[in-house]
Amino acid sequence: MGKQYRLIYDENLCIGCQACSVACRVENSVPDEVYRLQVHLHTKGEFPNLGMNFERLSCVMCENPPCVSVCPTNASFQSKDGLVHIDERACIACKYCILACPYHARFINPLKNVVEKCNFCYETRVSKELLPACVSICPTDALSFGDMRHKHSLVHQKSHKEVLVFPKAHLGTKPKVAFIPNRKGMKS
Amino acid sequence: MSPMWGSVEQYSAIHWSWAIAIYLFLAGLSSGSIIVALLVKWNRHERSNSSIWDAMIKAGSVVAPVAIFLGLLILVIDLGRPLSFYWLLIRYNITSVMSLGVLFLLIYTPIVMVFMLLVFERTVIKYPFFAPLESLINVVKSFHSYAKIIEYFLFGAALCVGSYTGFLLSALYAIPLWNSPLLPILFLTSSLSSGVAVNILIGLLFFKSTINPESIKYLLVLDTRVILTELPLLGLFFIGLFYAGGDVSHAAKMALTEGFWAGIFWFGVIGVGLGLPLITVIIALRSHVYRVGYVVINSMVVILGVLMLRYYIIYAGQIYLG
Ligand code: SF4
Ligand code: SF4
Repeated sequence: MGKQYRLIYDENLCIGCQACSVACRVENSVPDEVYRLQVHLHTKGEFPNLGMNFERLSCVMCENPPCVSVCPTNASFQSKDGLVHIDERACIACKYCILACPYHARFINPLKNVVEKCNFCYETRVSKELLPACVSICPTDALSFGDMRHKHSLVHQKSHKEVLVFPKAHLGTKPKVAFIPNRKGMKS
Repeated sequence: MSPMWGSVEQYSAIHWSWAIAIYLFLAGLSSGSIIVALLVKWNRHERSNSSIWDAMIKAGSVVAPVAIFLGLLILVIDLGRPLSFYWLLIRYNITSVMSLGVLFLLIYTPIVMVFMLLVFERTVIKYPFFAPLESLINVVKSFHSYAKIIEYFLFGAALCVGSYTGFLLSALYAIPLWNSPLLPILFLTSSLSSGVAVNILIGLLFFKSTINPESIKYLLVLDTRVILTELPLLGLFFIGLFYAGGDVSHAAKMALTEGFWAGIFWFGVIGVGLGLPLITVIIALRSHVYRVGYVVINSMVVILGVLMLRYYIIYAGQIYLG
């Protein structure tokens, strides 16, 4: 049986420092002006009753990925571990998958002219039992990553202790990235 | 929302642009014109001057292959990597409507070619210019006894091509304005409307220029009939989106009220594409003046309206996400 990866992003611990985004760019040589990962800030309420929510934007590694089911050449595919990858050779850059992704996670790499997105740093790190670059650099440990099959993994423990939110869960995409929603400040 | 750091352009980029809109239009035009030509061929109207009906069959048999070739050319050039398009032919994904479209087109395109050669068989044989193609002509002639079967097959393939362009968009639940079960039928209907118009237009201009007013009247009414089925479908399309609630109804509201694309919808799709032809017909029928000019302009306006519908759906869909 394959792995059951999960990445948990704790909005309460995030300070919006963008270290994850920078680490990602360096690790994956992401060209200027395009991003595999961004952290956005949403400000709610009115002064002095404010709320500030951080949001991580990246591929959420759907268990039922619409990007894979629409790809005409199977260039977008799901591995045995449930991760979604892109076979750059077979990508004709038709952009169908970019439109199909409800999370706006995909873009065209302007240098290679193929589709690109977060792949959990699979080739360079996760396949070598290392953490994804964003997770390993986060100074507040807002990000945790691991295999849900292991009872002692951080993600397993957090998943039991915390209330997890899966982005756009109503779509039935079953993301492997989960959020622990912000508890502080105004909510609307 | 604040990105804090970095450009957010990629999150609201238009990924499918005018080239896709034109392709969807041309694929619809091609399938619509061949469907109309076949319908005319099967139920030929003997009561009026029948030559215009022949002209419509000829027009359809020429428009269909030309439009689909042009469309496919634009489509391939528009790919991020045009030269890698062969992957579409060697790898298939049955859950991908795009992949299914490739299959339909692989069946459809050769048949429209054969159909054209069948229709123009005599003309082709007449010209010495085509002499080198003699073997090809003989092959086509040998198909003649299967003409009826080829026609039925072509009709089915044309229906697939005409509706797959709708399913191509409606398969994406990330885009509320596209994710409607009515989109394929809306596209198919407007394809038929552009098919009627283009066949009348090309038929009048190239294959028969003097015809009696009786058939002009009939052609104008024919143009109008398809428009009258398109109008309620567009209404149902938006009503369906409104009833879906949440982001979907918000996106629909924006698409009908906000900015440039709402203008294109009301002035282009509704006004020019549907309203103007209706007015032309009403005036012509009232005053009993049936000029060829009316039909020609009317047909061009209908075609323009269909093109604008494709443009509108492609752009508004990507801009108004709810
Ligand atoms: S988030 Fe988007 S790119 Fe990632 S697996 Fe899901 S649909 Fe595909
Ligand atoms: S852009 Fe590439 S990966 Fe995406 S659907 Fe097209 S061929 Fe597949």
